[in-house]
Amino acid sequence: MEDYKYLFKVVLIGNAGVGKTCLVSRYTKGFFPPGQMATIGVDFMIKTVEIDGDKVKLQIWDTAGQERFRSITQSYYRSANALILVYDVCSQQSYESLPHWVHEIELYAGTKVLAFLVGNKIDQTDKREIPTHIGKEFAERYEMRFLETSAKEADNVEKLFTSIAYQLTAQARDLELRPEQQGTVITGGSTPIASAPSCCKL
Amino acid sequence: MSGGCCGCVAALKPRYKRLVDNIFPANPQDGLVKNNMEKLTFYALSSRPEKLDRIGQYLEQKLTADINRHRFEFVFIAMEALDQLLVSCHAHSLNLFVESYLKMVQKLLECQEPDLQITATNSFVKFSNIEEDAPSYHRRYDFFVSKFSSMCHSGEQFGKEMKQKIRGAGLRGIQGVVRKTISDELQVNIWEQVHMDKIVPSLLFNMQDTKSTGADIESPKDEDDPAHLAEVVFRDLVCRASYGNIRCVLVPILVHLDNHRAWVPTDFAVRVFKIVMYSVQSQYGYLVIQLLLSHLDKHVKDDPQIKTSILTVLFEAVLISAGGSIGPSVLEVFNNLLRHLRISVDNKGKNQAQYSAEVKFQDAIVNTIGEFANNLPDYQKIEIMMFVMGKFPQFADEEIGGHMDQQLQINLLKTLLKATTKYKTVIMSNAFPPEFLHPLLRMSLMEDAGMRITVQDILHTLIDRHGNTKKLKRIELCGNIAVLELSVEKCSRQDILFMKKSGMQFYWHILENLQLESNRVDNLEALYCTMGLLAVEMGGDDIIVDLFRLALDIQGLATGTTLPLTHRCALHAMVAAYLNLISQLVTCQQAFEYVQSVIELRKFRAQHLLPDFAYNRTNRPQSLSELEKSELYPKTDQVKEEWLFEQSLLTTHLASTGLDVSRLGTPFTQKPYSGDNMDPTMSASDIGSINIEMESVDGSPSMARRRYSGVEEITVESLKKMLSEENTEDKEESERRRREVVNTFRTAPFEEIVAKSEAKSNHFHNKLNEILDFVSNTCVKETPVDGMSSEPGDTPFGMQFPDLFVY
Repeated sequence: MEDYKYLFKVVLIGNAGVGKTCLVSRYTKGFFPPGQMATIGVDFMIKTVEIDGDKVKLQIWDTAGQERFRSITQSYYRSANALILVYDVCSQQSYESLPHWVHEIELYAGTKVLAFLVGNKIDQTDKREIPTHIGKEFAERYEMRFLETSAKEADNVEKLFTSIAYQLTAQARDLELRPEQQGTVITGGSTPIASAPSCCKL
Repeated sequence: MSGGCCGCVAALKPRYKRLVDNIFPANPQDGLVKNNMEKLTFYALSSRPEKLDRIGQYLEQKLTADINRHRFEFVFIAMEALDQLLVSCHAHSLNLFVESYLKMVQKLLECQEPDLQITATNSFVKFSNIEEDAPSYHRRYDFFVSKFSSMCHSGEQFGKEMKQKIRGAGLRGIQGVVRKTISDELQVNIWEQVHMDKIVPSLLFNMQDTKSTGADIESPKDEDDPAHLAEVVFRDLVCRASYGNIRCVLVPILVHLDNHRAWVPTDFAVRVFKIVMYSVQSQYGYLVIQLLLSHLDKHVKDDPQIKTSILTVLFEAVLISAGGSIGPSVLEVFNNLLRHLRISVDNKGKNQAQYSAEVKFQDAIVNTIGEFANNLPDYQKIEIMMFVMGKFPQFADEEIGGHMDQQLQINLLKTLLKATTKYKTVIMSNAFPPEFLHPLLRMSLMEDAGMRITVQDILHTLIDRHGNTKKLKRIELCGNIAVLELSVEKCSRQDILFMKKSGMQFYWHILENLQLESNRVDNLEALYCTMGLLAVEMGGDDIIVDLFRLALDIQGLATGTTLPLTHRCALHAMVAAYLNLISQLVTCQQAFEYVQSVIELRKFRAQHLLPDFAYNRTNRPQSLSELEKSELYPKTDQVKEEWLFEQSLLTTHLASTGLDVSRLGTPFTQKPYSGDNMDPTMSASDIGSINIEMESVDGSPSMARRRYSGVEEITVESLKKMLSEENTEDKEESERRRREVVNTFRTAPFEEIVAKSEAKSNHFHNKLNEILDFVSNTCVKETPVDGMSSEPGDTPFGMQFPDLFVY
């Protein structure tokens, strides 16, 4: 019986070219797409994970970093359960626009949103411009979780999404917040269907 | 039909499950088993509704399993079966079935395979066409909106054809969601910002994409072309928007255009808003315009190019919505636009490109205001003209504002002209309420010659009701005015009353205007045209006599002035042409013959006093020195008596046709606001004319003298007082004035009193401006370049002040 207990929306945001799409691709498809083109509008992926025996479905919305799509991407923050704000550790500029992004989150996202700050591309050690502690400090200042990842080397990618799933699940259990009550998702609610499992299907 | 092991288990299954299992072929390539599908449909239709729900659930399970095992052929078959069940089953029994159906669609949409997504969308579109009559309370379409919007942007990596398919599917999906939710009150409100922020940009993004997918321009009507499809969906969306939610659609449009920098070039923005204007329910058109206006406010500080684009869009929108364009807050709209005009004028001057961009912007504003005004009912047009008039920087500020204000004034005048061209005059008094006429006439005396022409143009468009303006544009002598084909209508009583009230102001301003040295041929022609139009439009018996008087006054002006020779000749020529015109209009044969005889005389002796010469642009001397050397003009500026039109002769001739010529004897020397012969000291121009009397020996002919004799004493007295006491307010003087006023009200005709009191109600400021104006005029007079002046113009300065205190 394939169904899930919780469904969470995860939205990735951040400047163009920091590697949002690659993170998602690494996580959902398991490979690092070389020569990835700029995302247009919003991309969508799905991933189901198991957290303590419960199936948890992650809807991952990968937004375009380009300014011109800002208005459409903003509309996706609103119903997000978790936001992953990505910057490029090799790009001072991408770090510098973080406050702007934080502002956007405050403006458009829900108050209960789980925010993660992610410094990507740590594999390029020689080009690094933002040391780990700087990113960490920033994350602490704005009460975000912090991780550094490499989509290319698959460093921390799994960990990132799993911990998001874990924390959201814990939250949901705590508050007994069922996804359908959260007013975010899905047709007809996602209550597991209490029908007989089709065991005879071999 | 299942394999051996399943066969025995199948017997234990409920019937509906067996029916469902049977529709799947053993070999997926064979497709849906038609016979068994019919059986299933029949079963679903004939048994109780909950069976259908169970079928739905069971199908969903099978589908999920197939997706997980990547057996996509079976997935397609399942979808086909679902579609058929949906279509054939009764609407009322669908409710729960739809739940599982939508879950299946979502499941397919969550897959990465574009084919599955497209299949799901197509199925969803079919579903959206089904009208359900049972309400569904907790169905949510958030995911669909999000996913379809995402699809509208995606597909880049799959090649062109697939990209078109995916985007097309996304667009159709959006259309489906909109269709499904919009008609149902219980459904999620699709107009919420969260949804519109996704839907609208997705549509626009695809509409904008025409150029990039432009390879297939040859088939623009192609149903599958995303750009075309997006447009259809967009129209559909806009035309469904009601008052409450039109904003929700428009705001994302504006934001999108901002974000994608799609204002410049204007094409796309114009296209989008044309679609909006044509699709939106016409009673809401003004909301679009209001929003565009407020969007313009947001861009106040931005590149004038963007602002110009927004205005262009606005202009097009107003064109389309016509009558419904303004909405309730008329003045607000104009105020807003005029404010932008002002800001733009203040802005200019950084560099040449910037400047020309601002000028373009200003032109766009002027055009747009004109278009707005065009759509107003006539009575509001006048209101708007007055409003625009109110925006003129006060004359007092002119020193400070300098060039800036002039630029603004020019623009405002253009605006005014645009507005007036759309106005159809019916009754003069409606077209020229005093609050409008006075400032307009005052502006006719502005320093800038070009602006004066514009003012005259405004007057022309307002006075002219029969399209005569063009025919009177040139000053010429017509032996027979029938050639001009003027269309003349008998002047109504109201118009005559209007002229009796306000005519004096027209005359006075025309006279003042003619005295300006900065006049060029165009100015004089414009003034002639105004005079001609007055005669044609309002040439009632009394009025035409006034116009004769006006002509004689101009002649008097030309003889007794310090204007350069060319000006004087031009004035004489104008008088000749005008008398020729109006004597024919009034059909007084003797007067016409007399005018002709004087003209004949001039033809032989004084060519330079006739229009053919004086208004021939080829012989205009470019400079003063050239003028002196010129052979064309006579060396002496002597104008012989017999070349002039004699007032007494005209009087006799006109009297013979039964006109009341008593007024012909009295020149219009009053300022218009005094409007009254009894009180000449109040008038600045009176003072000027008295000067002529005293100082110029061979000055104007006898006509001025007659009036003069009655009031001479008072004038001299007041002159003395002014000279000796200058600025102090004189009690005696005011006492005397009061007596005079009382006298005036006792004896003067009612109309004059009315005119006077109306004029007085004008703001003190008007007065001041009037006087300042006059001062500047006399300044011009005072400094004749050729030194021929015999007329000192210095006294008026001293004499201005009492006027100040009178009011």
